[in-house]
Amino acid sequence: MASVTLKNIVKRFKAVTAVDNLSIEIQDREFAVLVGPSGCGKTTALRMIAGLETETSGEIFIGDRRVNDVSPKDRDIAMVFQNYALYPHMNVRDNLGFGLKMRKFPPSEISQRVQEAADILGIHELLDRKPKQLSGGQRQRVAVGRAIVRKPKVFLFDEPLSNLDAKLRVAMRTEISKLHRRLGATIIYVTHDQVEAMTMASRIFIMHNGALQQSGVPMEVYKQPANRFVAGFIGSPAMNFVTATLVADQGAYFVQAEHFRVRLPDVFSSRLAAHAGKPVIFGVRPEDMNEPDEAVSETRGNTVAMRVEVVETLGAETFVHLTCGSHTMVARVAVPDRLLTIGQEMQISLNMEKTHLFDEATFQTIV
Amino acid sequence: MSNGSRIAKRIRSTLFYIGALALCLPPVFVFVWMILTGLKTGVQNISYPPQFIFSPTLENFRAVFAQYNFFKYLMNSLIVAGLATGLSLLLGLPAAYSIAKYRQGRIGILILVARMTPFVSYLLPWYIIFRYLDLIDTYTALTITHLIITLPMVIWLMISFFESVPAELEDAAMIDGCSSLQSFRIIVLPLVRNGIATSAIISFIFSWNQFLFSLILSGPKTKTVPVAVYNFISYGKIDWAGIGAAATLIVLPVSIFAFFVRKSIVQGLTMGALKD
Ligand SMILES: Nc1ncnc2c1ncn2[C@@H]1O[C@H](COP(=O)(O)OP(=O)(O)O)[C@@H](O)[C@H]1O
Ligand SMILES: [Mg+2]
Repeated sequence: MASVTLKNIVKRFKAVTAVDNLSIEIQDREFAVLVGPSGCGKTTALRMIAGLETETSGEIFIGDRRVNDVSPKDRDIAMVFQNYALYPHMNVRDNLGFGLKMRKFPPSEISQRVQEAADILGIHELLDRKPKQLSGGQRQRVAVGRAIVRKPKVFLFDEPLSNLDAKLRVAMRTEISKLHRRLGATIIYVTHDQVEAMTMASRIFIMHNGALQQSGVPMEVYKQPANRFVAGFIGSPAMNFVTATLVADQGAYFVQAEHFRVRLPDVFSSRLAAHAGKPVIFGVRPEDMNEPDEAVSETRGNTVAMRVEVVETLGAETFVHLTCGSHTMVARVAVPDRLLTIGQEMQISLNMEKTHLFDEATFQTIV
Repeated sequence: MSNGSRIAKRIRSTLFYIGALALCLPPVFVFVWMILTGLKTGVQNISYPPQFIFSPTLENFRAVFAQYNFFKYLMNSLIVAGLATGLSLLLGLPAAYSIAKYRQGRIGILILVARMTPFVSYLLPWYIIFRYLDLIDTYTALTITHLIITLPMVIWLMISFFESVPAELEDAAMIDGCSSLQSFRIIVLPLVRNGIATSAIISFIFSWNQFLFSLILSGPKTKTVPVAVYNFISYGKIDWAGIGAAATLIVLPVSIFAFFVRKSIVQGLTMGALKD
């Protein structure tokens, strides 16, 4: 098993900079997820780790070995492709064993390892079929199987679940997590789906426009996003943003916009001073917006009058789409006792300790 | 309304069949005429009005083999067409693969231009060069010449086949431990076998039917069948029955062959190598 280190990796395709000075360190046995919107350079980064793409500059290490000039087959990695890339003219057994056969393993060992992989993935009855005769989910399993028979140091997954239907995707998520524990291998997993990233990762690396935005354990990234992009990308429904001005008033700080004025907790004050009077982006997650607690009558400057536009009832929880002047927001609330009616005005209180503030010019987090 | 559209549909399909018939009739007529000519005697062939009811004779076919050493010409054709096809594949497959994989469309166009130049314009220089090299009347000269026709065809047909092989398959092969050559041989080639079969067949047929170059560059030793047939025309006398029989013998093998593999040819010409 091995760690994977990227140092200042740049990849340009003619005019396009696909990966822009990417430096990441992935620990041995870690389940690292590279996540970001489509086109942000995830696949390119993964392909450079695999050796399928040559970096324009920078260094890649697998374990202690610098692998820039090592060919894919000698990097001791296995990759699961987005479209599975099973060899159409070989049956499943031969697909699984191909990597071992090319490495001149004795046939007895190949068949034993193929059996093992088939056991793990429950694909015994598929071994004699051709890829064409498999469903999407089955192909996906075979693609994973082809990676595990080789027992490589590092597994690379490129959006392996994106071609599956929603239900299967959830099931496979758990299975791949289990597989990770069972194999004890280093996994680098690429996805554009932040839910996949949050649920599977031991560490998450968020990319945007080819550059790393933030890395950390999922909850840390969720609670303390480094910038506006991360804040908006992680979490579903997404964080609500209001472009506003930071106003200092008698020692207290307020976020002020049209029809919108809330007071920031005093614990933030030291970090706010430098931004007083400047434009900011205020962020609040849907779950930090609630109906005011009746018992707390004293107003703390954290309530905003909003208008109910759409109510989505999911059973255990309800998403309420609200407007406040020209701002639109989504609140995630417990199922209310009374029916919310469209068009109704209501007070929403914000959990101010958990709100975020970003510099309007640099998008960096202020608090 | 549905009645009107049904009539329109019927008219369309009738027109389609009339058109198809009009296109097919002339070549079929010539083909049948050729076979009939081979089955008539010399006298029957020049009688007027032409006879359609007659007792067929195989005499001409026998004569073609006995008098003209036709078997040798068949062998020559087989050797040249076989060599030309084999070499076209040997050179054309890697060429088409490189053009497809490294997106060298411009080289592809260049090859197409070479293919579109009228062959006649090569004729004289070609003859002079081969004369100089003392290669007139050799299989080498004929085979190389036929490559002008078959090689671009193989390359052009195969480019689209190679393009249809997903790049990820080769990436997977590289990770699984293949060298570039192994990935080409073990993964890519088996996936384009339809295309290989098609281009081999077409290339063989074109070489088999090649006349002009063969006429100029062959000699007594290497004469191919189309040239041999031409020799049945001598000053003052045209052996129609012999020509008919010989032409039938030339066309028959490739026609029968093409009939059996027509499905694969149509597939090869109209469809990519892979569909998921
Ligand atoms: N082979 C290539 N040639 C040119 N541009 C490429 C190539 N591969 C990727 N790109 C570009 O690099 C950027 C990142 O692509 P990619 O790594 O595939 O993104 P992601 O996997 O995050 O969706 C995109 O703008 C894409 O168009
Ligand atoms: Mg991608």
